[in-house]
Amino acid sequence: MQAYTERIREAAKRLLSDGKVDVVIGFRKGTIPFMNEPYLAKTAEQVDQLVWDGNCGVNLANYLPKRTDRVAVVAKGCDSRNIVEHIVENQIKREQLHILGAPCKGMIDKRRIKAELKGKEPTSVEETEGEIEIKGRDLKLTLNRSDFLQENCAICIHRNPVLYDDLVGDLVEEQKDVDRYADVRQVEAMSTEEKWRHFDDLIAGCIRCYACRNACPACYCPTCFVDESRPQWVGKTIDPTDTRTFHFLRAYHLAGRCTDCGACERSCPVDIKMRQFTKKLEKDVKELFDYEAGINPEMRPALDFYRPDDPQAFIK
Amino acid sequence: MSNWEPKIIAFLCNWCSYGAADLAGVSRMQYPPNFRVIRVPCTGRINPKFILSALRHGADGVWVSGCHPGDCHYIEGNLYARRKFALLKNLLEHTGIEPKRLHFSWISSAEATKFADVAREVIRTVKEAGPAQHFIKKQAEVA
Amino acid sequence: MEGEAGNFTAKLKSEPRFIDPLRCTGCGDCAKVCPVTCVSEHNCGLDRRAATYIRYAQAVPLVFAIDPEICIGCGLCEKVCLAEAVKYDDQPRYNDLKIGSVILATGNEVFNPSDFDTYNYALLPNVITSMEFERILSASGPYRGHLMRPYDREEPKKVAWLQCVGSRDTHHCDNPYCSGVCCMYAIKEAVIAKEHSHSGMEAAIFFMDMRTHGKDFEAYYDKAKEEGVRFVRSRVHSVEPVGDGDLEITYADETGEIKQEIFNLVILSVGFQVGQEGMELAGKLGVDLNENRFVKTESFAPVATSREGIYVCGAFQGPKDIPQSVMEASAAASASSLLLNDVRWTEAKVKEKPTERNILGERPKVGVFVCQCGINIGGIVNIPEVREYAKTLPYVVYVEDNLYTCSQDTQVKMAQVIKEQGINRVVVAACTPRTHEPLFQETMSNAELNKYLFEMANIRNQDSWVHSGDPTQATEKAKDLVRMAISKVTLLEPLKESELGVTRKAMVVGGGVAGMVAAKDIADQGYPVYLVEKSSQLGGQAKKLFQTWRGESIPAYAEGLAKEIENHPNIKVYLNSELKHVDGFVGNFKSTIQNGGEPEPVEHGITIIATGGKEFQSEEYSYKKHPRIVTHQELDQRFNENDPSLRSINSAVFVQCVGSREPDRPYCSRVCCTHSVESALELKKINPESDVYVLYRDMRTYGERELIYQEARREGVIFIRYSLENKPQVEVVDGKVQVTVFDPILQRSIRMQPDLVTLATAILPNETDALSQFFKVPVNAEGFFIEAHAKLRPVDFSTDGVFLCGLAHYPKAIDESIAQARAAAARAATLLARDSIFFSGMVAFTRPIDCSSCGVCVSICPFNAPRFIETGRDAGKAEINPALCKGCGLCVASCRSGAIGLRGFDDSQIFAMIDSV
Ligand SMILES: Cc1cc2nc3c(=O)[nH]c(=O)nc-3n(C[C@H](O)[C@H](O)[C@H](O)COP(=O)(O)OP(=O)(O)OC[C@H]3O[C@@H](n4cnc5c(N)ncnc54)[C@H](O)[C@@H]3O)c2cc1C
Ligand code: SF4
Ligand code: SF4
Ligand code: SF4
Ligand code: SF4
Ligand code: SF4
Ligand code: FES
Repeated sequence: MQAYTERIREAAKRLLSDGKVDVVIGFRKGTIPFMNEPYLAKTAEQVDQLVWDGNCGVNLANYLPKRTDRVAVVAKGCDSRNIVEHIVENQIKREQLHILGAPCKGMIDKRRIKAELKGKEPTSVEETEGEIEIKGRDLKLTLNRSDFLQENCAICIHRNPVLYDDLVGDLVEEQKDVDRYADVRQVEAMSTEEKWRHFDDLIAGCIRCYACRNACPACYCPTCFVDESRPQWVGKTIDPTDTRTFHFLRAYHLAGRCTDCGACERSCPVDIKMRQFTKKLEKDVKELFDYEAGINPEMRPALDFYRPDDPQAFIK
Repeated sequence: MSNWEPKIIAFLCNWCSYGAADLAGVSRMQYPPNFRVIRVPCTGRINPKFILSALRHGADGVWVSGCHPGDCHYIEGNLYARRKFALLKNLLEHTGIEPKRLHFSWISSAEATKFADVAREVIRTVKEAGPAQHFIKKQAEVA
Repeated sequence: MEGEAGNFTAKLKSEPRFIDPLRCTGCGDCAKVCPVTCVSEHNCGLDRRAATYIRYAQAVPLVFAIDPEICIGCGLCEKVCLAEAVKYDDQPRYNDLKIGSVILATGNEVFNPSDFDTYNYALLPNVITSMEFERILSASGPYRGHLMRPYDREEPKKVAWLQCVGSRDTHHCDNPYCSGVCCMYAIKEAVIAKEHSHSGMEAAIFFMDMRTHGKDFEAYYDKAKEEGVRFVRSRVHSVEPVGDGDLEITYADETGEIKQEIFNLVILSVGFQVGQEGMELAGKLGVDLNENRFVKTESFAPVATSREGIYVCGAFQGPKDIPQSVMEASAAASASSLLLNDVRWTEAKVKEKPTERNILGERPKVGVFVCQCGINIGGIVNIPEVREYAKTLPYVVYVEDNLYTCSQDTQVKMAQVIKEQGINRVVVAACTPRTHEPLFQETMSNAELNKYLFEMANIRNQDSWVHSGDPTQATEKAKDLVRMAISKVTLLEPLKESELGVTRKAMVVGGGVAGMVAAKDIADQGYPVYLVEKSSQLGGQAKKLFQTWRGESIPAYAEGLAKEIENHPNIKVYLNSELKHVDGFVGNFKSTIQNGGEPEPVEHGITIIATGGKEFQSEEYSYKKHPRIVTHQELDQRFNENDPSLRSINSAVFVQCVGSREPDRPYCSRVCCTHSVESALELKKINPESDVYVLYRDMRTYGERELIYQEARREGVIFIRYSLENKPQVEVVDGKVQVTVFDPILQRSIRMQPDLVTLATAILPNETDALSQFFKVPVNAEGFFIEAHAKLRPVDFSTDGVFLCGLAHYPKAIDESIAQARAAAARAATLLARDSIFFSGMVAFTRPIDCSSCGVCVSICPFNAPRFIETGRDAGKAEINPALCKGCGLCVASCRSGAIGLRGFDDSQIFAMIDSV
């Protein structure tokens, strides 16, 4: 991890001093452990605050849309896919970007660690290749890193960036034989009524703060459909039908675009598992159209094109 | 419950299925009066929002029908729509909407028989699903 | 008909219809009460119709007529027709028409196989013609699209098609030509029948040569094979009845072995022939027919008849399919408008534009007109109830019901009421907008209202007619439909049909025969043309060819044409030039021509793409390894030069399908079979003693070209079939050319050492990338441009104002290229002949403030109407060009950001209808 940090700083300094970019977007240490925060470094001094470890789960692609300056950005596998989409969807130009690819072994799920700590406060965290060492008052814990990954990271099959200018670490081996859709299939096996209840329960706690939407790089509309007024057809309250409409259509808007980066779930203050919606779409897009989001900068998202022989067994 | 009749919203493409519905009339084919037609210029015009909105308004079923692939008046609107509908239908079903409520068909303006057949089938299957329970936006209690 | 080109007088007789087309509403009540019936011609006698009838349900106009042959004059229909349209004393009408030109598009007959005693068509109900089967498969046909055989209405499990019935045949009939369409329609019928079948129907097509030479046809043939359609190369001897309605076919397979097979249904793939009526018509008009009784034409003037001022198109000109017929139709229109160019518009009546009341700021005042349609609606739906209900709905200020809302007098009254009541939105609850919207909109205009402030509720076709057993529910439904229509109409706004000027100049890209013909047709009509040619001279491939299959010299024609073009005052030719940049859209293109070193900006209203193709050259069959192995164009050059060495050729071999119909180039190049036959005949002519062989997969001498195939066989040219799996070998052994081929009739290999091997190589399209991007027109996997519709719009692109012709579309013969070029010119002239064009008001528009620049609309619009704004406050956001938008709504439904609206079908309007269901 330290090696990444050094290479990021090194690259950032070079790019800034050569005048290649105006800003470097990366992470710096947060005020609380397990919470690094996005950071925009514009000077050599600021660069020294840049860090890299398993707490960089925020998707930095979210900081790119509508920028007009030249930007270097650190990108994990998923971030890079969202960057590809931004390029395809005209949110930023490739020429503006210098992508510092960060091959990724998964981000740490702070919620799981918290559960493991059972209320104790950590003061320092050390990360090595395979382990996380946590220290605090009457606390010393060594955890197996791979057991505490974000859910989406544990099943990630694109850990290496798909598009980059420099790498800040060696390419990692992609996970093979992961079952990406075990949870989706579980729901698929339910009866209709069970499915309905499953999703009702899933979103029951949603307070419609829109943190999920705001964290998602692919949600960049000036006016989100939930705020549409021509006419206003979705209520803004936490009425269950309105909440479901929000989650349903938000997910649908991400069909063929969601990279399963997990930023949405990570940002939710009440722990809603809204990836359950997007993953079903991801699975279908793969199965029906053989398409994966953000892999090919030459290709528009799956709903923006068609093939003459697309499946149509469902049409009478 | 025994005399419950489903309410079905049908989005029909102006150039084909709407014409088939007209032709079914010319040929005096009979089918039950359960659906209300909303004419659209092309299946490509159908925003998933409309289908959600129909469900929110308590429609017991939704039927979308357009031109056969290759026959779209706008060349390829139906082929884009086909992708959208595939995902929409799957996601609705995945999240607990009865598959029997959602129907899609390609019916050309000459296929009056097919129109009447599909109409009957849609009504029959929606009836099997029973009155819509979910996704309905409860109106203020007036009615 | 009397007179001469430009000034004919034609006497026209219109038979009496006995039903007034202006009054008939098409309700069909008369047909329901008519007590007599006869077989329906439209359904090929497979079902019956009444004496009052329409030919078919989609007929335009949808009005009935009485067949005097079978009407018994009972008077019932007159009694039930509340529209008072029945007129038993109707008389024939005669008109003298003053016309400048005539286009013959009378088609021809389908061959009647009754005289073919060996096929027993006349005796066996389960031996039917392909036309009968078309009706059986049709959803509006006698069996409503259910796959059944006539004898017992059972679904056939095994069906056979017998090809070339009444075509390529001089024994049973006098039709030596190939009908050109039967192979393809038989495959289509087999594929569709399999789709309609519930029990995995088996299909077998018995054929001599499979002629799938049209665009994308070969791929369809391949797919049919994959889907299990069986193709049996054979000659069928007889069809005999066996069992209960089944049929036994006796045929000889390719090796001559006699075989039998039993089917449930046999379909005779019948061809075309010009019938008695066609011949009489030609006689009356003084138009010559050729030896096959088709209208006589020449390759370089494919739509001109022997009489000036009379043109021909479609199947009367020669056997052909729909796309080719449509091309010729436009070509005939072009030829005809050249003749009549001076009088263009002189007969046109300009419709006065009604003034329009400004309703801005008015709250909606809805007028509702409920139609009884005689008893068609009123007999089922409780009209007074619907009327009274409508009065209770918001914004409704006026409601009335009418016996026939569409009748002339009601329309006049309606316009009055609208004005008097200050109505600003109208709902008509009646039949269907598909037939009647234009009529009511006309009345809207007469009432000084914008015609888009109108909505119909379909309470007849989709209500009273289909729920006649349930008047209560039908009435409820009518009320719902009226409510929905009102909810929408209140949200409608007046729409403007924008008008845009047209630059009345044309750009033609490509100076081959197609490009030159198109340019000339347009220029002759008086419009300036820019003709851009990449190479240093005009003429293209035509210069490298020898003659047409009819023996007309191609280079001579091309040279003459090139001279005319170069000297034409309206044509500016740019040689060694290419298009470098294109901006704009229909009516208003701005392009840059790179002319040598100098870029030259030009403006034009339309563009014709005629960039052609070229001969394929490969290493296959030892090409280039020996001077005696040549391509067609190389041989043609020697013919053109009258090369004396041709006289010493004692044996020659032609190899067909070189580079065509192969997995990596799956299409048929269409012209090569005819080309080989014609060259084989030429070699025979030069040296009658020579041995000439044609190694082929299917001989595709379609249409009347079949005649030279027959001639070649008579002249002793030997045709040997080979298969893709077992291709011939051409080698150079000890300095000599050696050809080895497996003969399927002798069932053994033959080895030859010919003096000449000619490779019939594929036709490839020229480079298309740049043009495809400039004009946003699509190209298929093989590099040919894709037309807007394969059958119905074969020279248009989906991008307005851009047309195509010639080899850039697909390989085709010179007469076909000429026809397509003239067609493109005709289509172009429809725009060039106008000062300005109007665009529909129902178009999409963006709200830049909501646009996220995601580009969905730009990438999916089939008409390339959206694009990104380049400069200013909204730079980077999308905007939609109303001149290109067709109002399909695809972008509207696909824009996640809700930034696009659609006039006439906007979200709010559709939501309002959903709300009020
Ligand atoms: C069995 C069969 C199947 C086919 N399937 C296909 C297919 O799948 N795809 C395809 O592309 N092509 C197909 N074809 C070919 C296609 O039908 C023709 O290419 C095309 O219809 C020819 O059009 P046309 O306008 O020249 O002739 P027609 O369609 O014959 O039209 C001629 C019209 O002129 C009218 N008319 C005749 N005489 C007069 C007169 N004296 N005065 C006024 N009007 C007159 C006739 O009533 C008719 O309406 C098929 C043909 C047959 C026979
Ligand atoms: S799911 Fe979570 S983050 Fe999203 S709106 Fe609901 S509460 Fe907020
Ligand atoms: S949910 Fe849809 S409308 Fe809302 S911001 Fe995301 S993409 Fe845009
Ligand atoms: S929906 Fe969630 S997982 Fe998908 S791209 Fe957006 S933030 Fe990432
Ligand atoms: S689809 Fe909508 S948001 Fe995207 S570019 Fe077009 S108008 Fe803008
Ligand atoms: S409505 Fe259709 S034609 Fe018009 S811009 Fe949108 S996609 Fe294109
Ligand atoms: S026009 Fe009917 S589906 Fe497009």
